[in-house]
Formats: sequence, structure tokens, C-alpha cells
Amino acid sequence: MHSPAPTATAAQPAEPRQYLTFTLGGEMFAVETLSVKEIIEFGQITTVPMMPPSIRGVINLRGAVVPVIDLKARFGAPATEVTRRTCIVIIELGAADDHQVIGIVVDTVSEVLEIPQAEIEPPPAFGARIRADFISGMGKIAGRFVILLDMGRVLSVDELATLSAFAERPEPALAAG
Amino acid sequence: MSTEHDDPLQTFIAESRELLLQMEEALLDMESRPNDPETINAIFRAAHTIKGSAGLFGLDHIVAFTHVAESVLDRVRNNEIALDPGLGALLLQAGDHLGQLIELLAAQGSPDATVKAGGQALLEQLEAYLATAHASPATVRAEVPAAHTGQCTVDSPRWHISLRFGPDVLRHGMDPASILRYLATLGEISAIRSITDATPMLAEIDPEACYLGFEIAFASDRAATDIDGAFEFIRDDCLIHLLAPHAPLDDYRRMLEALDKDVGMRDILLALGSLSAAEVAALDAEAPTSEAAVEAEAGGSEPAENSAKETRTAENSLIRVDAGKLDQLINLVGELIIAGAGASMVARNSKLPALIEATTLVSRLVEDVRDSALTLRMVQIGATFNRFRRVVRDVAKEIGKDIALDIRGGDTELDKTVVEKIGDPLTHIVRNSMDHGIEPAEVRLARGKPATGQLRLNAFHESGSIVIEVSDDGGGLNKERILRKAIERGLIGESQVLSDKEIFNLVFEPGFSTAEQVSKLSGRGVGMDVVKRNIMALRGTVDIESVEGVGTTVRIRLPLTLAIIDGFMVGVGNAAYVLPLDMVLECIELPNNLDPRHDSANYLNLRGGVLPFIRLREQFEIDAPPPVRENIVVVQYAGQRAGLVVDRLMGEFQTVIKPLGKVFSQIRGIGGSTILGSGEVALILDIPGLVRQVTRQSQPAAAGSTETCTTGST
Repeated sequence: MHSPAPTATAAQPAEPRQYLTFTLGGEMFAVETLSVKEIIEFGQITTVPMMPPSIRGVINLRGAVVPVIDLKARFGAPATEVTRRTCIVIIELGAADDHQVIGIVVDTVSEVLEIPQAEIEPPPAFGARIRADFISGMGKIAGRFVILLDMGRVLSVDELATLSAFAERPEPALAAG
Repeated sequence: MSTEHDDPLQTFIAESRELLLQMEEALLDMESRPNDPETINAIFRAAHTIKGSAGLFGLDHIVAFTHVAESVLDRVRNNEIALDPGLGALLLQAGDHLGQLIELLAAQGSPDATVKAGGQALLEQLEAYLATAHASPATVRAEVPAAHTGQCTVDSPRWHISLRFGPDVLRHGMDPASILRYLATLGEISAIRSITDATPMLAEIDPEACYLGFEIAFASDRAATDIDGAFEFIRDDCLIHLLAPHAPLDDYRRMLEALDKDVGMRDILLALGSLSAAEVAALDAEAPTSEAAVEAEAGGSEPAENSAKETRTAENSLIRVDAGKLDQLINLVGELIIAGAGASMVARNSKLPALIEATTLVSRLVEDVRDSALTLRMVQIGATFNRFRRVVRDVAKEIGKDIALDIRGGDTELDKTVVEKIGDPLTHIVRNSMDHGIEPAEVRLARGKPATGQLRLNAFHESGSIVIEVSDDGGGLNKERILRKAIERGLIGESQVLSDKEIFNLVFEPGFSTAEQVSKLSGRGVGMDVVKRNIMALRGTVDIESVEGVGTTVRIRLPLTLAIIDGFMVGVGNAAYVLPLDMVLECIELPNNLDPRHDSANYLNLRGGVLPFIRLREQFEIDAPPPVRENIVVVQYAGQRAGLVVDRLMGEFQTVIKPLGKVFSQIRGIGGSTILGSGEVALILDIPGLVRQVTRQSQPAAAGSTETCTTGST
């Protein structure tokens, strides 16, 4: 489940990997295309009650019910505002026996880029505004840095499940009168 | 080969379990109808097949044990000994022991000392029945040569076996070497020649095909069926000739004809010692003498072959399918329903009559497909019920009561997963009935009932669910005693007035047991609440009906399938939620005077009773403003009633349950999801979970209001 952070940096230094870049609150991020299943328009989404803001809800992906995570909220910022260009990137995680399909909400999807290993720096210890363990590396594209996300960590199912368990208690306790 | 060994082994294990069940069933049948030849044959066949397959896998301990049991059965079959209750019980134990060996095999263990000792003890008892049997194979065999007296027979005292393996033998997971090994356990292979004529040129060899053949001279005093049994699994693919000792020369001639008159064969037969030089010469000289003799011979062997074929075709009409594939099919059908509903909606909106008509037809067909896909998972409950014949028999013996089991509705079908999970709760109920329900014979006679207690298992379909009843004609439940106990345990207050049904249902409360004395079987009070929990987990209900002195009926009601539920859809704000329809009692309008802005109490007066309710809007923190009129759906589960305040009532519909996945594994109050015709996802509410959650929230917050939520509605 926790695909370790070094996967992007350690294996096969010669092969440049392809990354899908997208923006989130004006900042650019990228995920490896290997884990991207498809990109769909932000459409009909069903909110699941009693969930933390980072768990946006569920969608119907051709008959499968897929959870959708609000990445911005997951990174600690307010939830994503939906615009005309908002998309859901469907991510596939895990091996055959522990297979998970999860959608993430992003502001805009940019392009697919090849980033050679030489252009990838290790993640900074601090200063990136998101948790260091979410970052698998910093890719250099045209002199700018792109945060390469470690989706195994960002979308850790165990962590999300624990989050959802915590979320249900404290909040309604105030509302229940 | 060794890598392929695993799968056939699993098949062997599964098959053996089934055969043992059949054997047990047949043995129990024998108790009521002794000496029914068909039943004896069924028992024998089961043992025989297990032995044969075990031999193929080189499981010598199973072969050795089964062989003795099979020999005893063979004597029974030949009417040499009678199957009396003593032998029946012994064979049942032998079946259990075999089951144990098979389970050990499944768990990849090997039998330990106690298992071995148990097996040895059984073997000794079984062998007692064989003591005079050693002559029997000879008597069986004697008939065959007798039929050919007057014809020219060969001198060889050995069997001659001619094997030509079919090309697919290896692909079917059979190993010629293991067949020979098994053969060697039945006697002595005195001479053998490999026949490799069929092998093509190197370039044309298919490495997975088998081109081998053997000619074997075989010394054994076993019956023809035993030896023939060695080829049980390859008979369909292979050319097999089994010639008895002193077989007529004609048989050899026919065999040679079948083998394309291979000239080399004569030398081989000579070399193996199956035929003498003179006999080989006679073989060529003598034309088939009488067609009639050939006919008679053919006629003699045919019936046996035919009956074997028949059983095989019966088996062929059943296909073993991986349960995963079935699940996938049902998932796909679920999607088809959803997609179909979407298409119908588009068609209706388009107002094109032709399109509407076409989609209506498609929807109807899709529904048919769904129904038949669901029936694929349906199995008859009879097999589960039949297991209880053994349970009832053993338990009755143990507790010294005379109890007859009456099984009805065994052909009622229900979902396989449900069948698998209902076994344990049912066992518990049956044991309870036998132990506490049915009185000892003296008491029964004193009460004017027949001495034999009646226990009945019944199953039938009723309005989309299956009902399973366990009834006994025993003493019934004592209401006074239940009430006293419940008050003693603090389950109810002393002044509480309960209906009969509510009183009986108290026995499902945790820690409840009215048995005066705790027996080995039941009475420790750990059972009935677990029974109820298991049944609830299957979305079922359980009820008790009882008349004191006359008997008790425990009635379990289960949904036909776990994949689809009848749902009732409600709307709150923009969201739609689905409730299981069987939990919905009624719908009422929320009285206006209960405006949340003025009154924070979450209960109302429903025809004189207190009905606590949950405002879904608040509970789910839905922002949309409430409509002018809100509704309450009154739901009931486990005897508790609660209200759910919603905006809209959207009616009932059938829905395919989709699990929410791991991310939501910790969620309370939501049981799953379903996809509506519009493509939207609707959440299915888990009412017990929701009520528990609200109850928990209100406990630390407002101690005073706890009462209304937890106990007010009983």
C-alpha cells in the first residue's frame, strides 16, 4: 500500500518517466502517468455525510462507486472551488489483491511531461507547504519546480479511513442539541 | 507435472467432501430402508471413487483405509452380510474418519497419532466383517470364465492389460506413471512393455501430448471391478483392454483387431507370457467361431458400462463454476440494470414513442437476465437440511431421547452465501429444540404425546424472502420463567407489560438462558443472541412462536439474495438516501409544532407511544434550507422504533448494493451505496448503526435525553 517514496528516484535512472501535471490553488503538481487511469469532468458527485472535508464524496464511474478526495483540503487548505475547468483525475493504486481506485479533484489538468531522472531533486525537508512525506521529489520543468506527489501516501486508504472515523464524532456533538 | 498437482488435488478434496456427504446421507437412508440395492450401490460408489482418486494422488493412507471399508461394502452389495444398524454406525464413523483425513490433507497436515489410532481401531472393527470374505473375489471372478466354458481359453494365470493413452491424458492432469503405481498396489506387474509406436517424428511432437501405451501382464487376485477402477479417470480418453486370467482366446483376437492388427503385438504378448506360442498360432489360424458368442459377450458387459455412462452424463449436466466468475457476472448485470434505467429515462424525456418502446423491451429483457443471473447463485437448502439428519441422530442418541426429523421444502432455493452462513445458527436452534424443547419420553407419555419427539425443518418462499422454520412438539416456552429470568437479569423492568412475542424474543437477548440445568449441548446462554446476530447480519429476522405444552416454532426470515435489496428512497436537500424497505413501518408528516427552532426535543407522540427521531438534515449537516413540510419515516429494527426526518418521500425501488470501499470502512450509519437510474450515487442508510451513533452522541451531551433514545420505544 505505502509505495515507498524512493520508487520515483531509485529505479532505472536511464528511463525518463512520464508525469501528468495539474494545478491546485495556483501551484503545479505532478503524478506519474502509470497510476493515472483516466481524467473525467467534474460532474455529479454524492456527498457522504459525516466525512472530513478532504473526502469530497463518491461518484459513479461506469457502474463502480469511487471515492473522490479533495486534494486541496487534504493538503490543509480550504476545499476546492468548482469551476468550469475543474477535473477529477482517477488514480489506481496498489497491486492486484489490494486494488484501489480513487478520484482526486484538481483545478486544471495541464499536460503530460517526460521528466528525466537527472532533473528530479529530492524533496525539501520543509518549506513546501504540504507534508514532506507526500512528496516523492521535485521535478524541474523550464526552470520551475513541480511537486511530484507520492500518491501511495497522499491517498493512503488506511489514513483516510482513520480520518473519516475521527471526523464523525467531535463535529456533530456540537450540533446535536 | 508436480506444479499441476495442486489443482487436481483441490478438486479431489472438494469432490471427496461431497462424496462423503452423499455417503453419509445414503447411510442414514439405510437406517429407514435397509437393503435398498440402489442406496448400497451409492455408498459403494462413493467409497470406490474416493479410493480411486486417492490412489492417483499416491495418498496411500486414504487408499488403505477406504479399501477396507469398500471391501466391507462390496460384501454388503453382494448380500454376503447384512447392513445392520451396528455396521451402519461403524460405516458412519469410517466416513467421519475419512473426512478427517481429507480435511488434514486440505490443511496440508498429516494424520497424528490419535487420528491414526482411531483409524486403526475402525479398521479392526471393519475387518471383523471381512473375516470370512477372502474367498469372495474368486467367486465374483468365477462367473466370467464360466460363461465361456467350451471356448478356447488361454493358459496364462495372469491378467493382461493393454493401455493406449489418449493424447490429452497429461493435459487432464493424469500421470500414466501414477496409474501404474496405483495398479501395483492391487497386485504385481509381472511384465510390462512400453508401446511407443504412436510417437510422431521429433518435429511433430507436441510436448503436452501423451503418446504412450503399455502392455502389462498383471498378477492379482482382485476382482475385475477393482482393477478396472484403476482406470476410472482415464477411461474416456484411452483405449483400455482388460483381459481376465484364462480369458477366451477370442478376447485376445478382438483386442488385436481393435489395436489395428499390429503384428508386433503378437511378439509382445508372447514375450509378456500372456500367450503361449501355440496360442499365438491358434490366434491366427482360428477365425471367430460363433458370432453369437461375441454377441453374448458384448451383451454381458454392456449394462455395466451403460449405467456408468448414465451417471457420467448426469454429472456432465452440472458445471463447476468459480464463484468469483459468478459474482462478476452479477456485478455486470447490476451495471446493466443501472445503465438500462438510465437509457429508459433518456427515452422518456425524448418523448419518441419508438425509442420508449425499444427501451421498455430492453428493460424487460434486462430484468429477465437479472433474475436468471441471480438464480445461478441459488442453491437448494436441501443439502443443508440433510446435514441435520446426522446432527439429530447423534444428539438424540447422546441425550437419550427418541426424536424423528421431518424435512420439508428441501428444494427451496436461496443464495449460496446465505446458505453457507445459515448452517451454524440453524444447528444451534435445532440443538436447543432437541435439548430443551422436546421432553424426555416419560414426560411426553405422561402428557399424552407419542414417545417419539417430532422435529421439523421446513423452508418455503414467501413474498420475496425465504422462511426457514424449526418446529418441535415439545414443552414450549414458559412465559413466566422467561419473564422472571429477564427481570432477574435486569433486561426488563418489573412492571413492564410485554406481548407474548416480545416475551419470546427476550431469549435472544445476550446472557439469557432459561434452562434449569446447563447441558453439554446448550443452555449456557451464549447461543441465542449469537444466532440472532448472525441472522441479522444476513439482513434476516428471527421470531419465536410457542404454545406451552404443545411446541415451539422458530421462524427465520431471510432475503433471497444479498446483492439486491428492496429500497425506499427519501430525499434530504439535494441528496437521495435509500432505506431498506423491510425496515420501514410507515410514513407520517412531521407535525408543524415541532419546529426545531422552537423545540429541541427529538421525540413525538405516535398514537400514544414515544417515537424518538433523528433529523437527517442535522445529523448529516446538510446546508439546504428545510422545506415547508417535512416527513418522518418510521423505521423498526430489532424491536425498536425510530423516526427519520426527511424532506421528500421518493418511493420504493429495487436496488443493487455497491460496497463503499475501504476509504469508508470506518463509517457509521451508512451501509453502502447504489446507483440510481440517473447515474447518480445514492447512499444506503444503515439504520441500526445510525441509531447507535446518535445514541452515543446524546449520552455525554445530555444525560437526561438518553432515556428517550435507548429504551423509550420498546
